[in-house]
Amino acid sequence: MLNSSRRRVGRSLSIQRNALETNEAIANKNKRLFGKAFVINFLSSPGSGKTSLLESIVPILKSDGFKPAVIEGDVETDLDKKRIDELDIPAYQIVTNGTCHLDAKMVNGALNNLNRKDADIIFIENVGNLVCPTSFNLGEDIKAVVLSVTEGDDKPLKYPAAFYKSKVMIINKIDLLPFLDSSITKIKENALSVNKDLAIFETFCKKNEKAGNIENNGLSDFISFMENNINSKVSK
Amino acid sequence: MHEFSIALEIVDTLQKNEYLEGVKSVDEIKLNIGKYSGVDKNYLIFAFQNLDDERFKDVLLNFISNDGDEITIQEILVD
Ligand SMILES: Nc1nc2c(ncn2[C@@H]2O[C@H](COP(=O)(O)OP(=O)(O)OP(=O)(O)O)[C@@H](O)[C@H]2O)c(=O)[nH]1
Ligand SMILES: [Mg+2]
Repeated sequence: MLNSSRRRVGRSLSIQRNALETNEAIANKNKRLFGKAFVINFLSSPGSGKTSLLESIVPILKSDGFKPAVIEGDVETDLDKKRIDELDIPAYQIVTNGTCHLDAKMVNGALNNLNRKDADIIFIENVGNLVCPTSFNLGEDIKAVVLSVTEGDDKPLKYPAAFYKSKVMIINKIDLLPFLDSSITKIKENALSVNKDLAIFETFCKKNEKAGNIENNGLSDFISFMENNINSKVSK
Repeated sequence: MHEFSIALEIVDTLQKNEYLEGVKSVDEIKLNIGKYSGVDKNYLIFAFQNLDDERFKDVLLNFISNDGDEITIQEILVD
């Protein structure tokens, strides 16, 4: 790497281009392929509960007559896809083999393999990582960042990009609040200081909760949000 | 470390738009990096140092910051 003091004699070319325009072009192709389906890209650190949220949400969406499909992204294994397969909906696993994020090309490949003909909502579960996935547009309608209360209330300030780029923040694992110092008020305050327009939902999704029992786990508001978005995209 | 992918995207963008035609070396890239782009500038420098592309082996990255989330290539200096 050169020292900036070295005298430079080369030609200067003015560029003024998005550095990620190749990814952007494929993301636009994906957008066309998604068609009328509403697409959510879930971002979070590992283990915040993305797959658990899908396990809780999907049966309710199905019973409301919607047709979800899922694209899973992981560095290794198809463990998450196997969990989604239990829900009896179309699912495809992207294994990145070490890459810390999904990009538009990987999702484009998944779209060639995912049986999404009837899907009206497609969830993309990104690789568990609160930084890297934020730079890559996949062609989704919205990004939703999931933050579990066990991660601490300072995370929106320490990892602002995911919160800045998301339309939605889901604060998950709120059932664990009595055991923690985390404050929901502080999480919200910090997240809104990065992005004042975030729609915020507070949820928990324990494995043994009965499907459909969403009165007290905060999922009903998020489900209404999604169903409204599905309907408004279909009617456009 | 997604900065490797971003370095490859930058090279791809320059290549596809024919800015590297006949270029022996890229001496400098001026990048506008948003505060919310999720990019670590030091990792991006490291990524360019380790690119398997002779044209970029001595490249200097020159950063301008902004308050948004975009990464744009402003200008390059080539030989
Ligand atoms: N107590 C409690 N545990 C939860 C909740 N949501 C998820 N978990 C648990 O947290 C762990 C991780 O959940 P996952 O759904 O696998 O998280 P993930 O974000 O999909 O993880 P990765 O895909 O590896 O990034 C599991 O043991 C879940 O049972 C919740 O709301 N409350
Ligand atoms: Mg998961």
